Amino acid sequence: MAAGALAFLILGLGLIAWLAARVRATNTRTAATRRFSSLPVHHAWFVALCTVLPPLVFLGVWAFTSPALVTDAVLATPAAVQLPPPGFDRASILSEARELAAGRSYGAFHELAHTLAPAYAAAQARFDWIATGLALLLAFGGGAAAFARVRPGFAARTHVERVVMVLLLAASLIAVLTTVGIVASLLWESARFFSIVSPLEFLFGTHWSPQVIDARDPGATLGAVPLFWGTFFIGAVIAMAVAIPFGLMSAVYLTQYATPRARRWMKPTLEVLAGVPTVVYGYFAALTVAPAVRDLGAALGISWASSESALAAGLVMGVMIIPFVSSMADDSMAAVPASMRDGSLAMGATSSETIRRVLIPAALPGVVGGVLLAVSRAIGETMIVVMAASGVATLTLNPFASTTTVTRQIVDLLTGEAEFDSPKTLAAFALGLTLFVITLLLNIFALTVVKRYREAYE
Amino acid sequence: MSKSLVPELPTTAAEPPARRPTDWTTGAMQKRIRRRYAAERRFRLLGMAAVVLSAAFLAFLLIVMLARGIGGFTETRVALPIDFAAARLPVTPAQLRGRGADLALAGAGLEGAVDAAATTAFGKDGADLLSDGAWLTVRDAVKRDPALLARRATVEVPVASAIDIAVKGHGTPGAEATVQRLQARGLLSRGLNWRFLGNADSTDPTRVGIWGAFKGSLLTMLVTLLLAFPIGVFAALYLEEYAPRNRWTDFLEVSINNLAAVPSIIFGLLGLSVFLGTWGLPRSAPIVGGLTLALMTMPVIVIAGRNAIKGVPPSVRDAALGIGASPVQVVFHHVLPLALPGILTGTIIGMARALGETAPLLMIGMRAFIAAPPSGLRDPATALPVQIFLWSDQVDRGFVEKTSAAIIVLLVFLLAMNGLAIYLRNRFETRW
Repeated sequence: MAAGALAFLILGLGLIAWLAARVRATNTRTAATRRFSSLPVHHAWFVALCTVLPPLVFLGVWAFTSPALVTDAVLATPAAVQLPPPGFDRASILSEARELAAGRSYGAFHELAHTLAPAYAAAQARFDWIATGLALLLAFGGGAAAFARVRPGFAARTHVERVVMVLLLAASLIAVLTTVGIVASLLWESARFFSIVSPLEFLFGTHWSPQVIDARDPGATLGAVPLFWGTFFIGAVIAMAVAIPFGLMSAVYLTQYATPRARRWMKPTLEVLAGVPTVVYGYFAALTVAPAVRDLGAALGISWASSESALAAGLVMGVMIIPFVSSMADDSMAAVPASMRDGSLAMGATSSETIRRVLIPAALPGVVGGVLLAVSRAIGETMIVVMAASGVATLTLNPFASTTTVTRQIVDLLTGEAEFDSPKTLAAFALGLTLFVITLLLNIFALTVVKRYREAYE
Repeated sequence: MSKSLVPELPTTAAEPPARRPTDWTTGAMQKRIRRRYAAERRFRLLGMAAVVLSAAFLAFLLIVMLARGIGGFTETRVALPIDFAAARLPVTPAQLRGRGADLALAGAGLEGAVDAAATTAFGKDGADLLSDGAWLTVRDAVKRDPALLARRATVEVPVASAIDIAVKGHGTPGAEATVQRLQARGLLSRGLNWRFLGNADSTDPTRVGIWGAFKGSLLTMLVTLLLAFPIGVFAALYLEEYAPRNRWTDFLEVSINNLAAVPSIIFGLLGLSVFLGTWGLPRSAPIVGGLTLALMTMPVIVIAGRNAIKGVPPSVRDAALGIGASPVQVVFHHVLPLALPGILTGTIIGMARALGETAPLLMIGMRAFIAAPPSGLRDPATALPVQIFLWSDQVDRGFVEKTSAAIIVLLVFLLAMNGLAIYLRNRFETRW
């Protein structure tokens, strides 16, 4: 039976159980038992949960274990004797047979796959029936056992609430699982990469050209320093050179000078800048900004100015970050006690003197924390650099030259046609791990700074 | 910190030294005040310039996209006279009824007949003036009115990309000359390009449409919403209402806050290695995209949800507890409904971010050329932002306006979602 239909059947059973339990609980309620904590609806939910949860949990576990069981059953059939020893060929024959059996493909590269497909289909059907039977058994069993307990004195509410609490806890555990999943998958693939290429070569090598990897010495062309420099140059230097002055000054103007009416209009307008998708910025940077930057470079006498320059990508990225810096600066200035500002104004300082000499110095830790968060966002930004920056890694200080970044290289490495285990694709995960660690450290550091500074004024 | 701000108080109440009051009327002081006021004005102007320039950049971006993209919604058509009777297509009227009509007309050599008609009408290279999909328009016209097959008729068909661009003013000299020749004969007309809203990707810019990518985005967003919303709300409820204050909860909080700041491409790597590598889900399917984006959106919903839940005053909880509600009842009957507008606002903003996200989808392979809209969660699909990225890479000049037109569609949806979020926030915001 199809998984979807089975799930619907189980949910239907749950609904029936809910209705039946409610009727029974209502009928067994007497004036004397009205004082018990559980209402009929609690009994109903208890029985419905007991009907639905066990088979669903079972099916969830089954989805992960059954492919292995099916494969084992196929390997036990006589036709499987012809299979080559474990290795790449064997795996590909088995996966082709599986696709054939499931009806997802009609032709196979290996002749043997056609022979094995019927065995696969039979084993799959057998295990599907077993799963359906067991799931239904669990549903009926759980439902019946729970139904028998529907009595006035039974504290169904406590049981239902315990299940709800477990669900809530499980939901919050998914965040941790995601973090663990990210770290584990990055570490796992990176470990495989570092077993081929030495970490020292990767982290300190200055030559990056993954297109020509020498199989005997893959590390020679996988030195990531040019990428780190390019990422830092675009994300932390050029983009911040735009975002910090613009973000800080707009925060100052909007919080200190603008009329409430202007503020109500301008603030959401600036926030739209953060809501524009990065692919749109990338397209804009590649189509409009990059040629303009190249022409500017040519006008300045740089004949080799690239149309994929660091400047174009960095400028547009800076504009994207403006609202982020602005709102962080806004928050930290709002956290400065009003008495400090009022004191300065009362001494006769003008508004701008108060802002420059009192407000900004007092808010500086918060602003710095915000800028660090902005940097972490800028160096993780992908689409702008994929579309506007170059794919060629160069170590240069010239903003008109072409520069590449870590994120751009991850995309380039993983969207080519390479097998999954080559140093080229694994290098993408090593770059991802580096990126993750750097942004994590930046975030933790920035959040600590911001938090400590808030506490100083509270 | 506070120590340095407090001036040292003199221990004895000594007389301060006599000091002449400042004479503000002297020229030097007046000059100083003028200088300070000028600095004040400059600073203020600088602030205003920052805001205005940022807004101007936004306006510039939107205007450029609009100016480039608006042409993508229109197409140029040319009136093509076809002598169906002379072409003698081997189709019977019976074949034109029902489902086999497309196949019958294609098999009858309609494409060749259209090319021949173009050669007759416009000269030797006439067929090159028409879009690759011109015969499909003729096919639909014949399906609507089978009587056409017995006579001469004039059908308005879309022109080739080069001609279309020339009409819109960016063509090559050769194409411009052809356009002038056709315009002199009064054959060209402009109209809305409905295929752009109804088709999927294609190699010919006159035949492309965004429906395929849009449907892929819809399916992806559906998966994202179904996963991220309940999990995000439940996690927010647990952390804000029930979690005991201990190291484990701190760890939970840190990992959620940190997830919200992890670069999106890292989620793509996770999806590639876990959903595709370990779980063996199909490449470039909406379900994988939805799972990946759900992991990315969930922390946003958790953070917004916690802020909304924090905003519900404790008195509501105390009152409910006081009349005998259990902690679960307090939360689900009182706190959650009151916090829901805030949670929804955060959810819409998170979903808008997910809708515009491209990088993680590239990682899980949603960048293939997909010529048919997906019909299920496991079908190969692409998404709107990825489609924009793919078209932006195309060499054919006809794709420039299609890319910008797709951007306009995406921006309209994002602005509508953000507008809805702002409306919800203003409409249901409660000041306790």
